[in-house]
Amino acid sequence: MAEIDLDELIENLLQCRRCGICRNAVYEERGFDGVCPVWKNSPGFETSFMRGRIQVALALLEGVLEKTPENSEALFSCTLCGNCTEICAAEFNPADCLEEVRAVLNDIPNDVRDAIAEKIIQFDNPYEKNRSLKREWIKEVGFEIPTSGEVLYFTGCTAGMKLPTVVISAARILKAANIEFAVLEEEPCCGSVMLRTGKTDEARLNAQRVVSAIQKSGAKKVIVTCAGCLKTLREDFPKLGLEIPEVLHITEILQETAACKKLKLKPVTKRLKVTYHDPCHLSRAMGVYDAPREVIMSIPNIEFVEMETSRETAMCCGAGGGLRSYDPELAKKIAADRVMSAHEVGAEIIATACPFCESNLRLGAEQINSSIRVADIVDLIAERLM
Amino acid sequence: MAIDKKIAKEFENAVGAEYVSTRPDVLLTYSQTASMAVEPVIPSAVIRPANAKEVSQILKLANKHRIPVTPRSGGSSLQGEAIPKPGGIVVDLLRLGGITLYENLRSVTVGAGVTYGELDKFLAKHGLFLPVYPESSLVCTVAGNVAVNGAGVGSSLYGCTGEMVLGLEVVLPDGTIIQTGSEANPNSPGPFIRYAFGPDLTGLFIGSLGSFGIITKVSVKTFKRMKYFDYNMYGFDTVELAEQFLIEIKQNDINGLFTSIYSGEVLDLFMDMLSEELGFPPFEHAERTVSMTIGRVREDMLESDAKLAREICERLGGRVLNVREMPQQEWEGRFWNFVRASYIHGWHWRTLYHHQTPTNSHKSVDIIMDAMDKYRFLGHTAGFQSGHSSMNLYPHLYFDPQDKDEEEKVVKAHQEIAKALFKSGAVPFKLAEFWKDAIEDMDEYMDFLKHIKNSIDPNNIMNPGVLGGI
Repeated sequence: MAEIDLDELIENLLQCRRCGICRNAVYEERGFDGVCPVWKNSPGFETSFMRGRIQVALALLEGVLEKTPENSEALFSCTLCGNCTEICAAEFNPADCLEEVRAVLNDIPNDVRDAIAEKIIQFDNPYEKNRSLKREWIKEVGFEIPTSGEVLYFTGCTAGMKLPTVVISAARILKAANIEFAVLEEEPCCGSVMLRTGKTDEARLNAQRVVSAIQKSGAKKVIVTCAGCLKTLREDFPKLGLEIPEVLHITEILQETAACKKLKLKPVTKRLKVTYHDPCHLSRAMGVYDAPREVIMSIPNIEFVEMETSRETAMCCGAGGGLRSYDPELAKKIAADRVMSAHEVGAEIIATACPFCESNLRLGAEQINSSIRVADIVDLIAERLM
Repeated sequence: MAIDKKIAKEFENAVGAEYVSTRPDVLLTYSQTASMAVEPVIPSAVIRPANAKEVSQILKLANKHRIPVTPRSGGSSLQGEAIPKPGGIVVDLLRLGGITLYENLRSVTVGAGVTYGELDKFLAKHGLFLPVYPESSLVCTVAGNVAVNGAGVGSSLYGCTGEMVLGLEVVLPDGTIIQTGSEANPNSPGPFIRYAFGPDLTGLFIGSLGSFGIITKVSVKTFKRMKYFDYNMYGFDTVELAEQFLIEIKQNDINGLFTSIYSGEVLDLFMDMLSEELGFPPFEHAERTVSMTIGRVREDMLESDAKLAREICERLGGRVLNVREMPQQEWEGRFWNFVRASYIHGWHWRTLYHHQTPTNSHKSVDIIMDAMDKYRFLGHTAGFQSGHSSMNLYPHLYFDPQDKDEEEKVVKAHQEIAKALFKSGAVPFKLAEFWKDAIEDMDEYMDFLKHIKNSIDPNNIMNPGVLGGI
């Protein structure tokens, strides 16, 4: 990431004329049914959506507000989902600016932010788990996976350590598609959360390690199942001046295999209504909208339904931008709200393409005692492999 | 400074602790609205009630403790209407939701927190609309727009927002909750007529800027959603001919749903800024160009209106430009394009919304252009028909928010413009802060307003100073 020019950042923040369109705009023609998930699921003061966040940011940067953890809460109680950017009529990117503000103001104490960064530095993951666990799941797939090769599956911390079904499913699908792939011996964290929360220096050092590990593996192509890893590797690393091979989300690979029916899939026994939650880092950030949908629809006997908000205007699951660590209860509440949207369209499964979204949506479903199944697309596909 | 803790506790008891904030960061964000070049004022507390009963409790407490109250909903007002008072509280009304449709009465009631976007989505499902769309429809609430006496796309045919109102639920400064219009009768089946039970008490609160109480519910008319539209532009070589065209459109009952008039320079500016983004083709405009969307619920009526509009234009010596993209974008993109046009240039801006007669509308253009020349500001003004025989003009002056001298200059220029506009016969929608020094020779009117204010709000807690300085 290039050095942040403070004058330019302030000039950008001043592009906000406080119109407030980023709060709860309902704009049917463009698919907006609300904008900010935090505003919607919190007591709803101005500090809970982007207009207020920008005012707080400017006040902190200009010394009008004292730099205290409490005064900087508005900067961190945001998922950086980018729905505000999607609707903003002004000439700047509010979500990107807020991320930069976090970096510029990272001298303001924030225990949660610092603890995550420290864990990543110490353990190579934010979950304080042994780094070798990221290959532990391989025992269950029934075939060998090398540690080097032209195609590298970068598993990510959440799938690799918390949701092993995702990595197992991904591995089985790649195998079924005749794609030979490797998984790193000791995969570092991509450092997405460091970047999102303003720990830029630490993220830069971490990124160098990630790139070095990928290079050593001989990879010419990197496949990810995590939307956060995708954005970080594909978009942020080049901004940090790092060269990285082509990075693809697995749904982008599967889009091709689905189109040419390369994978033979068993139909579901009874017609199943499935909806899809767009992970913000895959959709708004990287523009991947059609691939996941086409992959889901390639499963015979699936009835695909969209939620009230989808694609560019989809409401966030609440996990991103460091919010799940910063305010877990709020993150869960937002997830529950998203799960409710799936219920409203009668979905039996809410599919997604990001383990971080998946795990938060599950927590949200639990919170409202929902029996809906939350699943990664790769799980749905792997279950139907012949 | 944050409010006294004991008083804050009383407010917490009224609405719940999580909906009262005295945090410095929260207070800061309520010190301003979308009004630009206005000095922010930090309130002492922000309170977010859920219903009229809670609003009532808040106002009773505010009265007891003599605390100034600033009602606020979308926070999108542009002329300093919702800037708090020192030591005052802000009552944020966005939690007051709810939409009730009375299909047979052709009306709908909305809570003070309901935005135009939300209502439009709801009404569209029933084939209906509230046909006045302020520029800030995605942000502002219907109640807020009633309180500021707004207008917007659709006003050319249906008039200002106030014309749509059938009744209001209002919490008076002493906490009394009243209902106006037909719903004042507790046995009424719903909102069906505004002019009931004597004088038009509803009208007292329209454009009152929250000075007489807090509107908690609004009942408005609904109309069948139009399906048939004719989009066209009409060019005239003189201002007079263009203005005559506007008058004849009205005199012939042509359903100009949105009828705007642009001077050549302003059209050039808009085309430069927006033509590529919105897909406007280049076209040869005139000294004054009228952009009109005619709307009808039946196709035969539309054809008749469109034909007559063309005939009037040609009879007056104008040219039918046969350019549909711009009026079409004005109507179909009514939720978005006006907001975009206000921000695409990157400047901050300040505006002085007002009405003129069609034959006076060029005076507003001349006044703003003179001020732009004098102060060397960029800016623009254009206008649209806003009712029976009025034009809504919106002169914007652009400035750089990081240049404090320029910001001061824009305020000074606005004071001069407001005075000149008033003398030209213009009327502001509301007696907002920006206009208070421009009003002259209306002493009796202002005294009467003060008298009403004193009677309703003897402790002057409700948005003091905002309504014409009262």
